[in-house]
Parts: sequence; C-alpha cells; structure tokens
Amino acid sequence: MQWNENGDSPAPGVDAIRVQDLCKTYHVPEREGGMGEAVRSFFRRRYRDVVAVQKVNFCIRSGEIVGFLGPNGAGKTTTLKMLSGLLHPTSGKVEVLGFTPWERKNEFLRAITLVMGQRSRLSWDIPAADSFLLHQAIYRLSDEEYKQTLKELDDLLDLSPIMRKPVRNLSLGERMKCELAAGLLHRPKVLFLDEPTIGLDITAQARIRTFLQEYNRRTGATILLTSHYMADVTALSERIIMIHQGELKYDGSITDLSRRIAPYKIICVTLEDGQVMDLSRYGDPAQPANGEWGENGGCKNLIQVTANRVAEVTARLLAELPVQDLNIEDPPIESVIERAFAE
Amino acid sequence: MNVLKLLYAYLRMNVQMALAYRTDTAVNILLNLMWLGWELFSLSIIFNNTDTLAGWGPGELIALLGVFRLVNALMASLIWPNTERFNTSIRDGSFDYVLLQPANSMLLVSINRMVVWRIWDLVLAGGLIAAGVRISQTTGVESLAGFLVLAASGLVVIYSLWIVMIALTFWFIKFDNNVTILQALLEAGRYPVMVYPAWLRLIVTFVIPIALATTVPLQGLRGELTTGNTLVFLAAGALSLLIASQVWRAGLKRYAGASS
Amino acid sequence: MLNIYRRLWQTNWAEQWQYRANLLMYLLYWLVSPVVYLAVWTTVANAQGSVQGYTANDFVTYYLLLLMVDQLNADITIHLLAYKIQDGTLSGELLKPIHPILTNTLVNNLAFKALTLMVMIPVWLLLCLLFRPDFGTVTLPNLLLGIPAIILGFGINFLFGAAITCLAFWTTRVYAISEFYYALTVLFAGQFVPLDLMPPLVQQIAAYLPFQILRFFPIQLILGRLTGGEILVNFLLGVFWLLVALGLFQLVWKQGVKRFSAVGA
Repeated sequence: MQWNENGDSPAPGVDAIRVQDLCKTYHVPEREGGMGEAVRSFFRRRYRDVVAVQKVNFCIRSGEIVGFLGPNGAGKTTTLKMLSGLLHPTSGKVEVLGFTPWERKNEFLRAITLVMGQRSRLSWDIPAADSFLLHQAIYRLSDEEYKQTLKELDDLLDLSPIMRKPVRNLSLGERMKCELAAGLLHRPKVLFLDEPTIGLDITAQARIRTFLQEYNRRTGATILLTSHYMADVTALSERIIMIHQGELKYDGSITDLSRRIAPYKIICVTLEDGQVMDLSRYGDPAQPANGEWGENGGCKNLIQVTANRVAEVTARLLAELPVQDLNIEDPPIESVIERAFAE
Repeated sequence: MNVLKLLYAYLRMNVQMALAYRTDTAVNILLNLMWLGWELFSLSIIFNNTDTLAGWGPGELIALLGVFRLVNALMASLIWPNTERFNTSIRDGSFDYVLLQPANSMLLVSINRMVVWRIWDLVLAGGLIAAGVRISQTTGVESLAGFLVLAASGLVVIYSLWIVMIALTFWFIKFDNNVTILQALLEAGRYPVMVYPAWLRLIVTFVIPIALATTVPLQGLRGELTTGNTLVFLAAGALSLLIASQVWRAGLKRYAGASS
Repeated sequence: MLNIYRRLWQTNWAEQWQYRANLLMYLLYWLVSPVVYLAVWTTVANAQGSVQGYTANDFVTYYLLLLMVDQLNADITIHLLAYKIQDGTLSGELLKPIHPILTNTLVNNLAFKALTLMVMIPVWLLLCLLFRPDFGTVTLPNLLLGIPAIILGFGINFLFGAAITCLAFWTTRVYAISEFYYALTVLFAGQFVPLDLMPPLVQQIAAYLPFQILRFFPIQLILGRLTGGEILVNFLLGVFWLLVALGLFQLVWKQGVKRFSAVGA
C-alpha cells in the first residue's frame, strides 16, 4: 500500500477499499403476535437467521466514485456500516486504506467519513457553524487547516448564508449541505455516503452532485455512495455495484450493463401536425420512465426496438410516415436496472 | 491535553444551547434556591428537636447536605441529560455518529449534553460544605484533604455506576429507564447512613453505593477513617472506573454485532 | 353516562399497563423519601424517648400511613395533560361531547392509582413487617371516616392540579409552577415532617391553606389523634376548599379553552 508522505490520498491506481468474501448474518429474535406467544417467548426465545450480506467481493481504487445500487433491504447500508467500522461482519475480510474498519483506530476514523441522508449528526438548536467548531475539536484540526477547509467547502456549497442559522430553521436541502460539510471538515480520503440526496428537490440534488464531482476532482477522495435516485449514480459514476438480497449481482460500468441487459433503443417520432399514430407494426410501445423524456418533454409516439434493428426501422418510418422529427435514445437507466434485478 | 479541548468544545456548545432558552434557566435557578431553602429548613426543624442525629451535629449535616447537592448536581447536569440523549441516539441510530468519531465514545457520551446553569449548584454545594465545616469546627488540613479526595472518589463511583447502567441498554434495549434507581436512592444520601435500618444501609452501601459518595467523605472529614480505610475507598473508586470502561467496551462490541 | 366511564376505564387501564416499567421507577421514588424521614425521626425519638409527644412508633405509623395516603391522593394530571395543551392534541378531546378533564383525565388518574396500588400494597405490607408499627390507636370507625377524608383530599388535589395544568394555556413554564405547588404541599401538608413539629408560624399559616387536608388530616384522623370536633371542622374546611378548587378550576378551564380555540391548535 503506497502513501504520499503528506497524507494525501494514496496515489491513483492503488486500492483504497478491498472487500473479500464479506458475509453478515443477523440473529433476529422472532415472535408471532398474541398473548400465548408473548409468554412463551419470555421463557425461550426463538431466533431466525437473516442473511444481510453474502460473499460480497469488490475492490475500489483510490479516487474512484462508485455507485452502490439495490432495492431496500438489499444489504447496501449493512455493507457501508461494515466498511466504516460500525458493524462486525460474520465472516470475510475488509481493508479500507489499509485498516480493518471495525478495529476503529483513530487514524482510520480520521481518514473516512460516513454521511447518512436519513440521520442527522448536527445539533438541532444551534447554528451549523457551532457544530463545525465541535467537529474541529474532535478531529483535532488546527485552526489553519479548519479555516482553509471551511472556506473551500463554503465556496463549493455556498454555506455562508446558512451556517449561522440554527439547524432546525434550515430547509432540508440547506441542512443536507451542512451535513455534508460537517462530514468533510477533516478532509477524509474515503467518503461513504448513504442516500445523501434523499428527500431533496431536483435543484438541490443537482447541486450536491456537482459538489461531489468537484470535491472528487480537487481532492482525489474515494467516494462510495448508495442511492435510490438513478440520476445520482449516472451523473457521478461510471461504475456501479449492484446488490440484491445480499448478493453482488453486478460490478462494472453502466453502459456495459445497458448494453448487456437491454440491447435496445427507444425511438421518439414526431409526426407532422402533431399526429398520434399506432406504431405497433414497427416496434413495441415504450413508456418514458418518469414522465420526462430526454430533452423533448412528452413525446407522443414512442417505440422500443432492439439495437440491431434500429437502422431498418428508422428507414421504414422515414419512408412510410410523414415524419417531422425523429430521436433515438438509450432506455432510461431505471428500466435497465429493474430488468437487471428481475433476472 | 485533548480531553480538555473536547470538554471545552462541548461546554461552549451547551452554553449556546442554554442561551437559546434563557428564561428557563432563570426559572430553574429560582426553583433550585427554593428547594435549598426547604432543605435547610427541614434540617433546622430536626435540630430544634435534638442536638445530634446519630452522633452527627448540625454543622456536619450541613456539610453532608453540601456533598449530597454535589452528587445531585452531577446527576442533574450530566447524568440525566446524557442518559436521555444516549437513549434517543440508540433508538434513532444517531449513536453511529458517536462511534464514527475519533475520540473515546464513553467520554463523548458523558459530555455531549451539559446543563450549564448547574455550575451554580456546584458553587452552592461548595458554600454549604465550607459553612458546615466552619460550624462543626472539625478539622485540620489532613481531614479536609481526605474529605476532598474521598468526595472525588465517590463521584467517580457514581459515574461508573451510571456508565454500567446505560451500557445495559446495549443488551436490553427496553430497560432504558434504569437510571431512575440511582436518582431515587440518592435521596437516602441526605442523611448519614447510620440512621437507616440495616437493610436500607446495605442497599445504599453495597448495591447502589450512594453512601460511598455522601456519608463516607463526611466520615473522612470527621476524622473517623484511618488511612487504610481511605485508601480502600480510593481503590474502590479507581476499580469502579475500570469495570465501567470494560463493560462499556463489551457493550460496544455487542452493538456492533460482534459474535465474540 | 356510566357506560362512558366504564369504557374510559378500560382504555385507560390498558394504556397504563403499557407503561408499567415506568411504574416500577415511580414506585421507587414514592418509597424512598418517607422511609428516609421515618428513619431520621425514629432515630431522634429513640435517642431521647420522644419528640414533642411523638414516640418512635408514632413516627413509624405516621410515615407508613403517609405512604398510603400520598398514593391515594396523588394527582398526575400535569403529566397527562400539559403536553396535550402545548402541542395541540387537546383539540381532539375538545371535540367530544364530554368534559375531557372530568372524564378522561380523572379516569386516567384512577386507573394509574389502581395499577400502582396493585404493586404497592404488597410492598407496603413488607415495609410493615420490617418496621413493625403498632397501629393500636386505629379504630374501625376512624378508618372508615378516613375514606371520605382521603377522597376529599384527592378531589382537592385533583382540581387544583387540573387548574394548574390549565395554566399551560398561557405559559410554557407550567411544570415549574407545578413544582412550586408541590413544594407548598411539602411544607404545609405534613408531607415530610408532621405538621405538629413545624414551627408555630408555619402551623398557623397552614390552618388557612387547603394543603393539610391532603395529608395531615387523613393521617391524624385514622391514627385517632383528632377529637370529634376537630374531625368535623376539618371536614367542613375540606368541603369548603373543594368548592373553591372546583370554582377555580372551572374558571381557569373556561378561559383556557377560549384562549386555546382563539389562538388555534
């Protein structure tokens, strides 16, 4: 494991995170409802094994941004907790920046951060700026380091107007910016982000994404983020790791995944005079994923066609119909992912 | 030292939180004074009717009241607010953030919240102790030093007991109410434990050792303890802290789902 | 109407049962102070024979009775209602065609008492075994008379407690006020020191206040320390204070509800 002397992130090309045969099984007490059961369980508990993570393997290089996808209960948060040292695995090996996370050595804790979108680390009643000062004391940041980092974060996130307001008076988007800032004051080399954009409106989400990209570019920090929003993942990372029912289903680039799972394209046809026509002879009807459709909102004639037939179908459409405009696009990521999980 | 810096940082944060609720603080101080008045008044009633209580004079009982208030201030300023904060953080998962920080989690959990105005209570307690010592004309520097050291040790015992109590939440999530036992039995610390029937004396000396924090330091002040005794009590304090930190560590392991 | 009370009893009992862990803690608080004072005073009495006419046994019987009367008279309205006023959930209850306090809150109090008594009676008996009181002065008529005295005391305590809780309509410092009220009880009701032992000034003031009806009066009545005349006078006083408390409560409640609806939930 190579390190720069001045404590910067390890040189790119070196593994920041190494996960090997990681397993986590929860031993959960189980009880059915009813009075009789309640009494019985007092004397002898029955347990159930819930497998949260099964034999997961992956490596993440320093400076990479990786999206971690999966439905609820897939094991994403459990994995992140094991990577950040909050949970002991049942078996397997994890190395983050050369440390074993659950030993929770102070140097390890200073080098990472975990930001959970659904849980706040800031104190409600006081301004974020004061929580930041607390953070400085805990992470033993010198005044110069602290001021410098805070200024950079302020530039990137525009914190000045909101830093001095009590946290409970902030909007969700503003609070999330402060949460992120609080998590980054100590310039961690590895960022674990659990649903950082949850509940935010579109503009706030976009701003966070831009920030993360810029942060990664400037500091070379490794970022592993989980999200429900495809836009987070597509905007930030080429590489995704997909987890489903505790197992790693896919680890690779998004485009490869699309090509593999869904070798088809979507054709949007705009006819003269805005006509709507039944195009089922040319291809299967398609639905735009969330009501939006590329740059043309509300395309009226949509079909999907396997990739190898695109040229042929397009030619036929142009020849046989009064086509005013024609767009060929990749299918929305959501449907790709859905199909991937369905397999 | 970093612990001091941390203490200062949390103190500052809690002061700010208190300033956000200024009038509450004023009201609390007034109520506190009211109860002090009642406590002194009830002591005066006792001593209107007798000269000594189990061999203890009024000055000594005033000093005991001071020590009791000292322990009570610890409970009110640190133990109660942090118990609540800890229980909430376990329930809503924000305890994870405590674990992610590169500092001793036991320390963090102990100083996260402070009821700052209780510093006033410490001053009052100090005043009571000083007045009591004066009135009882007890004593030399040696007893005073022994008293201070025993009082500190007693506070450490109470603190350690508290840590063990909240650590139990790691194993039994539903019993997060157990710290109440500490506060309830603390009432028995107002008077020298010799006054109580044997079974109560046993409970407050060995089960929930309130006596170690109240009666024992006063015994030191009265010169009733040999150096050997004093050392034993000091050792008890140190040992309790050691046990508490071990229990805490075991609790953390349990929280993190460690199978070992 | 009886039906309503019966239903309320069922739901409130079920609710209180859920919080039985809290109950155990409450039990501890209830227990410790009287036992502490009992120990202190019996020590003094044993050392010098008696204190102003109270022998050690007198103290033991006093405090053991205090434990019971305290619990039977207790009012927990502030814990039941204050938060509902503060966060607005009271509006739900105001919509019902029955008086929320004289029904729901009252029954809630009673359910709590019943639950706590279930646990406390065995503990109390245990304490009697440990302290060996001599209840020789207690006669059956006095014991029976004690029942309306205690009910009277509860009525006064409940109505005053409810009136104070209603102050929550105007201020957030209602818990502080309640604490102050409790301090008055401790001082003038013979809560931790029998009223007889208090300085004469305190006893004189206490005569003009309702608090002694809460503790001192029922205890002394049952212990047979009051003459027939004193008993009668105290009952009359009790009824007087009950009416005062009722009037006060109605006043504060009406004004409070007006303000509550005006300000909006």
